[in-house]
This record gives sequence, structure tokens and C-alpha cells, in this order.
Amino acid sequence: MKEEQEDKVLSELFRHKLENAEVIPSPGLGKMLIRRVAWREFLRFNPARFNAWYAGSAAVAGAALVLILTTSPGKDNDPESSTIITRPSATEALNENARGNDAAPETGESVNVRSSQKNAGAGAEKPAAMTEAHEVSGDGPEKIKGVLPSAEVPPVTDGKMLAGGTPGMNKLQKTARKADNIINASVTEGCAPLKVLFTTRSLLFDSCRWSFGDGGYSFEKDPEWIFDVEGEYEVILRGYGEAARQSFSSVMIKVHPNPVARFEIAPENAVIPGDEITFLNYSTDASEYRWDFGDGNSSDQFEPKYSYNRYGNYTVRLIAYSVFGCPDSLVVQNAFGSGYYVRFPNAFIPNPNGPSGGFYTNRSDEDSFVFHPVHSGVAEYQLRIFSRRGMLVFESSDVNTGWDGYYKGQSVEPGVYVWKVRGNYINGEPFTLMGDVTLLKGQ
Amino acid sequence: MMSDPQIIEGCARNDRKAQQELYSRYSGFLLGVCMRYATDKAEAEDILQDSFLKIFFNIKDFSGTGSFIGWLRKIAVNTAITHYHKHLKFRYHIEIEDFVSMETGTSSFEEDLFTSDELYRVLNSLPAGYRMVFNLYAVEGYKHKEIADMLGIDTNTSKSQYSRAKAVIRDKLEKLRRLKGNYPAAD
Repeated sequence: MKEEQEDKVLSELFRHKLENAEVIPSPGLGKMLIRRVAWREFLRFNPARFNAWYAGSAAVAGAALVLILTTSPGKDNDPESSTIITRPSATEALNENARGNDAAPETGESVNVRSSQKNAGAGAEKPAAMTEAHEVSGDGPEKIKGVLPSAEVPPVTDGKMLAGGTPGMNKLQKTARKADNIINASVTEGCAPLKVLFTTRSLLFDSCRWSFGDGGYSFEKDPEWIFDVEGEYEVILRGYGEAARQSFSSVMIKVHPNPVARFEIAPENAVIPGDEITFLNYSTDASEYRWDFGDGNSSDQFEPKYSYNRYGNYTVRLIAYSVFGCPDSLVVQNAFGSGYYVRFPNAFIPNPNGPSGGFYTNRSDEDSFVFHPVHSGVAEYQLRIFSRRGMLVFESSDVNTGWDGYYKGQSVEPGVYVWKVRGNYINGEPFTLMGDVTLLKGQ
Repeated sequence: MMSDPQIIEGCARNDRKAQQELYSRYSGFLLGVCMRYATDKAEAEDILQDSFLKIFFNIKDFSGTGSFIGWLRKIAVNTAITHYHKHLKFRYHIEIEDFVSMETGTSSFEEDLFTSDELYRVLNSLPAGYRMVFNLYAVEGYKHKEIADMLGIDTNTSKSQYSRAKAVIRDKLEKLRRLKGNYPAAD
């Protein structure tokens, strides 16, 4: 019994203290974890990546074979020679025949030979073979030095390279770095959001990391990225090859800002046909405008004025274009009601000095002594007002006669009254409205 | 700020942001769990990493019913058990008899007496087998039968290891208390 209790004390001590205890992980742990996750994801069998994965491996294997075959037999004893030789030879093919070193003319040929052999060997991979070589060269000597332990690549000191008969690698790589571009972007500039499909023409690395310049990154080989925000982004591709070779390439993506299309229709309760409509343009960041008035007519003016020929449910559309041609549009459906309306207030205070008969004009009824609508285009009209008990207290078939709040010359009780109105507008459109109004007592 | 369901959904899509969010939100808690099963923080972090890998790649299996944090904890505990099995042969075994010094004190311990750090250290210093059984039984609340299944040991072994673990822990706590008594209010 006692032991059980003790048991409980001990386990409860640990449970309470440690069950939800938090321990702060070491700072680098999260990053390491994410790297591991990415690597696992990459290694995972993925049917979508299946082809690229195997085609890539096959091409790399093919390329390696071709490179080994085409290097001169004298250098074969050096295990690194196959890769080292390709760097200068391929770049030199691009731009450095003129250096006139002993190896230059022959390597110029060898590139062609290589690519044709490649065609025979790995099939339709000519551009890939070329760019692979570029990519390696694009690393620059400093990269190679940095990544590989120097013992592994002893010949990569500039003097030695020159002396060893390979053309001036140092210089070559400087130029090659500029020419080097293994990134293929489906578009390099456009309007936000800009969707860009990146592909890499290189097959020489096993894994890669794209940083898109906006904080996003991807480990896919050919990622698709959407740039939401305007700006210029340097997209950087890092490839990690076998033997810890790294390659690096970048491309600039320019995302143009979007304009904002905005407009207002004036006058506010325009009646069409009849009123001339002004379209007030509040668009920003735009330089060109295209208006569609919805009746088949359009305009390119900044703030067009337009008169419709007949009544209709028009959809007005404004497309604003920025200087880069990025569009934005604003569409207003049913931009104009008929323009006719009847609207009632929900409270009024009858004139305490006695009935007025209900006739009003906007000017004469500044104090809202009369319950009446604001209206436009009313042709036929019948207003009925009931008390809460259902008694008809007022009836009018003249839109210009409202209720003065008196019934048979007597002021009625304050409270809620129900009204119903029906009629037609001058274009024949019928209307039926109902609601309630609170009759307030003046002092 | 993402909600848990958003994070889960994001992780199911392998969305890096969601994974990072999940990590930053729960790594402290889960490391706290792992710490109980490890000899030191480095080992706990190993277990934590493996747990997160499992979590990320199996988050689709989280049914959505029941508590997410409970599910996370369960994965961490299971990973710790796997880890224990994997590293069993490399561990320094301490003969149980060596530890049976137990002076069965009739002590009760107030919670406030020890910091969680100290309790972790007590657990870390236990032999791995003791630690597993004690954690699973006392903190996680599994039955001896279940523990025996999980660890691949006999139920009686679980029971006896537990009682020995208790004795050792009590012993250590007692010492710690005496030590603290000399330096009071050292919190």
C-alpha cells in the first residue's frame, strides 16, 4: 500500500515535470533536418521524376565514357585527367582558339568529335554534351580549389596547367563564366505573378538546389516557380556532382509590377438613355487603357464620356496596361440599373402644427414632415400605409403627395407603420416595394 | 501563422515552409520527450531528427482524429524505442546486480524540489533499459504488458526493471536533495 503510494509520487513527479517539458534544440538542427528531408525526398522513387532520373544517369554515364575515350591515352594514367581536360578544351572551343597554344587547334576539333560521338553513343544529346563541358568550366579554378582537396587535383595550379600543355585555363574560365549558362528559363521577364519553368541543360550533377531569389528554393531538377511580387530576382542553380564537384549558374528574372484598374461611373445614379456617362479613371501604374462600354463600343481614352443609345444591362470593362504591357481589369456588371428608383425613408416626424396635405417638394420638406419617397422615372404609383392593426391610414396615387402623418385630420399615434407601394417606371418596368416606417413625435 | 491543420496539409504536400513551421512549433516539445529516452542531448537530437523524418514522411497517415500532439509524441516514443533497440548492442551494460544497492527510503518528493533539468539528468544517467521502462510506465503510462511487447522483453522483466529503476531514481533524488539542502534556494 505504502509502496504503491510512493510509486505514484515518483511517477507523478516525473510525469508532471517532464510530460510537457520543452528542451530547446541546438540551433543548427532544424536546417540539418530539412536537408535530410530534402535528400530523402530526392532519393524517394517518384514516377514523375523517373524518366529524368534515369535518362540523366544514362546520359552522365554516356558522357563520362565518351570523355574517357576521347582523352589522349598519354593522360589516362591520371585518374582525374578525363574531367580536367574537358574543362579547358570545351571552353576554348567557345572563345579561345586564338591563344594558339599547342593544344588549341586539336581540342577545337575534339569538341566536335565528342559531340558527334555522343550523338552516336547516347543519342540526340549534342547540346547537352556541349553545355556540360561549359558547366564544369564555369566553376572557375577557385571553386575547384575550394571544393576539392588540393591533393586530389594536383595539376590545377595555373602555372602547371599551362606548362602541362593545356591552354590557359585561368583566363578561359573567366570568359567562360559569362558565357556559361546552363539554366533555361521559359521566360525571363513578365508580369506578376510570373510563372517560370526552369530547366537545366546540364546532366553532370546528381543533385541541385535552386534558389529563386525571393526566399524560395527547390531541389527539383526542373522546377516551376511562380514569382508573385514584382522585382528582379537572381535565380541561382547549384549542382552537386559526384566527386564533390559543384557547379553554379544563375539567371535574372524580372517581374514587372501590375497596374491597378479602377474607375467610377458618374453621375452615381445615372439614367440611361439620357445621361452622359463619365467614367472617372482612378487606375494606378497604368499607361494605356481600353474601355469596353458593354454595348459593343470601346474607347482608348483615359477618361471617356459616353452616352448610351438605349436602356440595357451593360457590363463596363476597363483594362489598364502598364508600360510593360501588364494588364489589370475591372469589370462592373449591370453598371446602370434602369436608373429609375423609388426609395423611402424609415422614419419621419409629422409637423406638430397640423396636417399639410402631404404635398411636398424637396425644398418644402426640408424638415421631413412628410413621409415620401425619393424617386426617379416613376410613371404609375400607388402608396398605401397601414397601422399595425392593419388599418389603412393613407393612400396616394401621386408620387408627389406623401403622408403628412395625420389621419382624418388627427395626428396618429407614434409608432411603426407599414407601407406598400406598387407602380411602373416610365420604361414600363414594374416595381413593388414594401417596408415600415417609424413615426416619431416631435417636441 | 499557420494553423495545425494547415501545417499538416502542407507537410503532406512536402511543403518546405510547413515542415519548418512544424519543426519550429513542436521541436522543443518533442526534444523534451526524446531527452527522457537518451543519455545526453546529442543522442536526444538524433532521435528527434529521426522522429521528424518519420513525421514528415508519414504525416499522411495522421487521421486527423485525435490529438496531433499525441500522435507526434507517440512517433517520438516509438523512434526512441527503435533507437534503443538499434543501439542496444553498443551500449555499456551495467549488471543489474551492481545497481541493487537500493536503500529503500520512504521518501516522498515535492515537485518543486527539482527542476526539470535535474530530472532529465537523473533519467539520462540511468541504464538504458531502466530508462525505457521507467519512462514508458511512469511518464507515458503504458502497462507492463505493452512495454514488454514494445521492448521485446518479458513482462516480469519490465516489472522488475521498473522497480529497480524506481529505486535507483529515488536514490539519486535523495542524494540530490541532500546536496540541495546544503545550498538552499539555488533555483
